[in-house]
Amino acid sequence: MKTKIVKILVGFIILTFVLSACATPATQAPTLAPTKPVAIETAAPIVAPTTAPTNPPTIETAAPTAAPTAAPTAAPKPTGKITLWGWSYDAMQSTGLVDDFQKEYPDIQLDFVKYSSTDTYQNLQLAISAGTGAPDVVQIENSHLAQFVDLDGLLDITDRVQQYIPLMNAYKWVDAVKDGKYYAMPWDSGPVFLYYRRDVFKAAGLSDVPDDVSAMVATWDKYLETCTTIKDKTGKNCFAFSRANNDARIYEIALWQQGLGYYDKDGKITVDSAQNVATLEELGKFWNPMVVSEEQAWTDPWYAELNSPDNSVASIVEASWMGIFLKTWIAGGTAGQWGVAEMPAFAEGQVRASNDGGSTLAISSQSQNPDAAWAFIEFMLGRDNSQLRMFAYTDFLPSLETTYGDALFYEPDTFFSSEMTRQLYLKVAKEIPTAYVYGPNYQLMNGYVATAIQEYATGKSSAADALKAAADRIRAETGMP
Amino acid sequence: MRKINQDKREENIYQTQKKGFWHEIVKARWPYLFISPFYFLFLIFGAFPLVFSFILSFTSWKGTGPLIFNNFGNYKLILTDKVFWQSMQNGLILFFMYVPFQILLACVLAVILNSKRVKGFKFFRTVIFMPYISSMVAAGFVFQLLFGSRNGLVNSILGFFTIPLIPWLDSVWGARFALCALIVWAWLGYNMVFILAGLQTISSELTEAAMIDGANSVQAFFLITIPLLRPVILFCVINSTIGSFNLFGELMSMFHATGGNGPLNAVITPLLAVFGQAFHNFKLGYASTQAYVYFLLIFVVALLQLRLFNKEVD
Repeated sequence: MKTKIVKILVGFIILTFVLSACATPATQAPTLAPTKPVAIETAAPIVAPTTAPTNPPTIETAAPTAAPTAAPTAAPKPTGKITLWGWSYDAMQSTGLVDDFQKEYPDIQLDFVKYSSTDTYQNLQLAISAGTGAPDVVQIENSHLAQFVDLDGLLDITDRVQQYIPLMNAYKWVDAVKDGKYYAMPWDSGPVFLYYRRDVFKAAGLSDVPDDVSAMVATWDKYLETCTTIKDKTGKNCFAFSRANNDARIYEIALWQQGLGYYDKDGKITVDSAQNVATLEELGKFWNPMVVSEEQAWTDPWYAELNSPDNSVASIVEASWMGIFLKTWIAGGTAGQWGVAEMPAFAEGQVRASNDGGSTLAISSQSQNPDAAWAFIEFMLGRDNSQLRMFAYTDFLPSLETTYGDALFYEPDTFFSSEMTRQLYLKVAKEIPTAYVYGPNYQLMNGYVATAIQEYATGKSSAADALKAAADRIRAETGMP
Repeated sequence: MRKINQDKREENIYQTQKKGFWHEIVKARWPYLFISPFYFLFLIFGAFPLVFSFILSFTSWKGTGPLIFNNFGNYKLILTDKVFWQSMQNGLILFFMYVPFQILLACVLAVILNSKRVKGFKFFRTVIFMPYISSMVAAGFVFQLLFGSRNGLVNSILGFFTIPLIPWLDSVWGARFALCALIVWAWLGYNMVFILAGLQTISSELTEAAMIDGANSVQAFFLITIPLLRPVILFCVINSTIGSFNLFGELMSMFHATGGNGPLNAVITPLLAVFGQAFHNFKLGYASTQAYVYFLLIFVVALLQLRLFNKEVD
C-alpha cells in the first residue's frame, strides 16, 4: 500500500512537469491556428542594406536649431514599459534624443532590442504568426513594410498620423497604406545620388567639381562614356555592378526614377513591359565592354574597394543613407576624397531622382501600450528638432518636409570636401516620382527579377526572355494579373 | 474437462487480443508514464507540424488569417517551378561532385591512421575531426574570402603559377566547386571517424592472410577492407546524400549576399528553396507543398540506395 502511494506521488510530480512543459508553449503561442486576424509587423529575411552604423561617426555635431514643435498635450502623459526592435538605435541614442525623451516622459521605460534588419523581420514574422512576442515599436524599411501590413500585424494608426500625412514626402505613404488605413510613420527618405571619388576622377583627367560631374553623367549613356574614360585612363572600375550575383537594387533605382516598377497602380505586373526591358538593356551596356566591378554589395571586398586609397572604384549610385556608412565603418579613411553629384537620368531631360530603401517606425497590434509607443514615435519622427538632429548625425534625410527650411541644409559637409550636400539632397528628394517597386510581394519579385538579371548579364538569355519568364512566374505565384 | 480448459484458454487469448493495445498500456502504466515526456514532445514538435504542414500544402496561407484552400493549386505550381527543380538538380550535382571523393578520402585517411606505423594517432584524428566542431558561420566566411575572385588566396596561389583568375564565386561551377571544398573540409573528419570505428572491428588477420596469398596493399584495401566496410560506407553515403540536399548553414554563410542561392541559383538546395518561400515570401502554404514533394523524392532515393547496397552485400 505504501509503495503504491509513493508511486502515485512520483507519477503526479512527473505529470506536473510534463504538463507545465507543454503548457508554456501552448499559452505563449495560442494562435498558431489562424483564428483571428492579427495586426502585427513581420520579418522579411533578405539582406537589407541599411544596417545600423556601428562605429561612432566622425561628423560635425548636431545642429539643433529648430525649436521643438509639438508641445506636450494636456492629456495625461502615457506611462509604462515599451519594447523597441530595430537597427538604428544609435541614431537616437548618440544624438541625445533618448535622454531628452526620458526627460519629457519619465514614466515610460524603454527597452531597446538591437537587431539587424534581417533579424528584425525574421523575429517579427514569427511573433505575428504566433500571436505573441512582438515588440511595441518596430523599425521597418519601406521595401518590407507592405509585406508586414499585409500580414495584419501592425496597428492601424490612421488617427494618430492624420496631421502628418501632408507633411511627409508623399511617396513614403504608399507602402504604409492598406484599404485607406495607415500602419506606419515615415522616418527617412532615400533619394539616390552619384557618390564619386574625386581622386579617381582627377586621375582620369576629369573635373571633380560636383556641378561638372553632374553634367558629365547627365544620362546613363553619358555616365557610360565617363566610365569608359576612367577605365581607359586609370584602369579603375566605375562602380560595383555584379553580373552573376546581381541583387537588382540598381535596376530598381533605374526603374523608380522613371516612375516604373514591378507593377502599376492597378496592381498589374509590369516586370516584362517594354520599358522595363529597355531599362535593363540600358544598364547592360556597362557590362559590354566591362567598365564595372563585379563585387557583390555588402560583402568585404565591396567595402574594401570603396575604402581603398589607391585601388578603389570610381563611384557608387546609392541613396543618401549611404552617407553615414561611408563616413564611418565602410570608408572612414577616405574623408575629403568623395563628392556627391546628381544621378544620371534615363534619357536627356528626364528625372534625375530616385529612391532606394528608407525606414519607418510602426506599432505592433500586440502592443499593450500603444499610447506610449506613439509618444515615442511622434517624439522621434514627428518633431523637426529630433529629425534634424538625427539627420545631421546620420544623413537619414527626414521624410518630414517641415524640416527643409532649416539652416542645417546650408551647412557644408567636411567628409564630402565641404560640399553643400544637404541642399542637393533636398532638391532631389522633392523630385522623386511615385513608383510601384516595393509592395506586399517585393521579396518574391526581387528574387525572380534578380535571377532574370543574372541570366541576362551572363549571356544565358535575352533581357526580354529573362524578364518574361520572371513575370510569368510572379503572376503564377502571386495571382496578380 | 480438457476440452473446456482449452476453450477457456482460447477465450482468454481472444479477450487479450480484443483488449489489445490499451490493455497492455494500462498493465504497464508506470513505465509508460515515465517515458511519456518523449511522446508529448513528439506530438507537439513532431507530429503536429507534420500534419499541419500537410494541410497547409493545400492552402495559400501567409502566416496569419484563415486557411484558404486552393485544392491542388500549389502542386500544379510546383510542376513549373524552375527554382525548385533547379534546387533538386543542385542536390544531385553536389552529391556527385563531393560524396564519392569525400568517402574515398575518408577511407584512405582512416586506413592510414589505423595502421600501426602512424605515430600520434590521436593527434591526427583530432586534427582531422576539428573542422566538424568549428563554427560553420566562421568557416563559410573564411572560405568566401579564400575563394574571392579578385583578392582571394586561392586565386593568388594559382596566379603564382601563371594560371588566369578563376571567377569562383561569380560563376555557376566555380561556386559549386568552392562549396564542395568547404563541405569536404568540414565533413571529412566526421565521415572518417565512422570509417575508422568500422575499421577497428575488422580483424587484421584477414588482410594479413591476403598479403600472404600474394595480394599487395592496394589490392588488400580495395578487395578486403572496402567490402567489409560496406555497412559503414552505406551509412556515410546515405547521410551525405541527405546532407547535400539539406545544405543550409554552409550556403547562408558562404553566399550570404545572395541569401544563400549563389550566382544564378547555382547552389540553392531544396531546404533553402522552402525557407525562401516561407520566410522571405511568406508563402507558407506553397513552402509546405515544396517540403512534401521534396520529402517524397528524397525518401525514394534513400530507399533505392538501401536496396542497391544491400543487393551487392548479398
